[in-house]
Amino acid sequence: MSKKKTISEDELVRAIRQRDKFGAEALYDMYSASLYGIIYRIVQHDEIAEDLLQETFVKIWNSFTSFDPAKGRLFTWMANVARNLSIDKIRSKDFRNSSKNQDIENTVNSIDEQRSTAINPDLLDVKELVQQLKPDQKSVLDLVYFRGYTHVEAAEELGIPLGTVKTRMRMAIITLRKFFN
Amino acid sequence: MEDLRSYIESGILELYAAGDLNPTERLEVEAMLIKHPTLKTELADIEKSLEKYAKAYSIAPPAALRDKVLGNLSTAIAETPIAGNDIITLPTRRDSFFKYAFAASVALLILSLGALVSLYSRLQESRQQLTALQASNQQFSNRVNFMDEKLSEREQILNVLRNPEYKMVKLKGTKQAPQASMMVAFNPAKKEVMIDMAAMEMPANDTEHQYQLWALVDGKPVDLGVFDMQADDEGMKKMKAIDNAQAFAVTLEPRGGSQSPTMEQMMVMGAI
Repeated sequence: MSKKKTISEDELVRAIRQRDKFGAEALYDMYSASLYGIIYRIVQHDEIAEDLLQETFVKIWNSFTSFDPAKGRLFTWMANVARNLSIDKIRSKDFRNSSKNQDIENTVNSIDEQRSTAINPDLLDVKELVQQLKPDQKSVLDLVYFRGYTHVEAAEELGIPLGTVKTRMRMAIITLRKFFN
Repeated sequence: MEDLRSYIESGILELYAAGDLNPTERLEVEAMLIKHPTLKTELADIEKSLEKYAKAYSIAPPAALRDKVLGNLSTAIAETPIAGNDIITLPTRRDSFFKYAFAASVALLILSLGALVSLYSRLQESRQQLTALQASNQQFSNRVNFMDEKLSEREQILNVLRNPEYKMVKLKGTKQAPQASMMVAFNPAKKEVMIDMAAMEMPANDTEHQYQLWALVDGKPVDLGVFDMQADDEGMKKMKAIDNAQAFAVTLEPRGGSQSPTMEQMMVMGAI
């Protein structure tokens, strides 16, 4: 594999708009792991996750004109693309048929236990982050952000009121903001 | 400002950033973002923290996937070219483009040739029709000319016959040709002598001989010119002028005529 390419978000957006090959490589190197993390947590299947990652990049590349910086950051838009494609996939008939033997109720934590080596080790101390995030906040955050649940579905899943879901979601993110700053 | 604070505290920006809003709610948030820069800053902070969270929980995809994905993006480059950039063209698409272009050209060529052949045969047909029309037109005008000629001959005869100035002299056959006869019209006032070719009953002359018309003036023969006996001659033939004559006679002479008549070859004769 060639050396990983990293550039600023503005430069990246410009390079993608110009259909630059370098832009495509930087896009993949900077975001493939983050997006694959989201996709994998939703579909929980290696082969399908790989196909979906491919589909996600093609869609990002081909419909880049619909990305509007006024509406949010690049990664937010890309994460939405990945999440929506993955959710469409697990709701499709062929996916439900092919993954009968898979444990759909598998939790995010168990994936992370299985694939702990894949977690980005040099960026931050994940354990420390997990300690900072209260478990009830983290479960809401993970269901919505990593599993693609709507807050209504998350409320049903966790058996808590809608308002509580929203509050915990906000608290979780406030904790993240404090942690990362 | 109080409103914005409660808007922030409602947690809607967090849900927006996590992709957990329906399209209507999204549009509402986007409208608010445009109106209030404070919200945009707040959202950017939320987004950055989620981005870092995703990065913290990122999973590296298999290394082999990179080339596969980038290969697909190269395809995408060729499919959506943007002017002014070096574009990686996709050979298969070009090939198939040329293939279709070639097929289209061949089809056009065949169609054109077909049209050309059909046009050419129609042109030939038209030419033939034109030739036929020209021929029949010529035939028709020939016929008209012929009729014209006939008509003027008839008119000439009619004018001679009607005119009381003309004396009609009938020449009768001699012993040489008892069946022969012909008419001579004589107008002494105008010194005109004409022979009626239509009413002529004479044996046909050969190519070495011609008939010669004579006027007898005071017992002497005077040459009035030569003529041939032709079946299709129908008009009045004008002969040499003379103002006085007692009789007319025709002898058969060598072609071109003679100085004086060969009396043994006198065919017809008539006195005025």
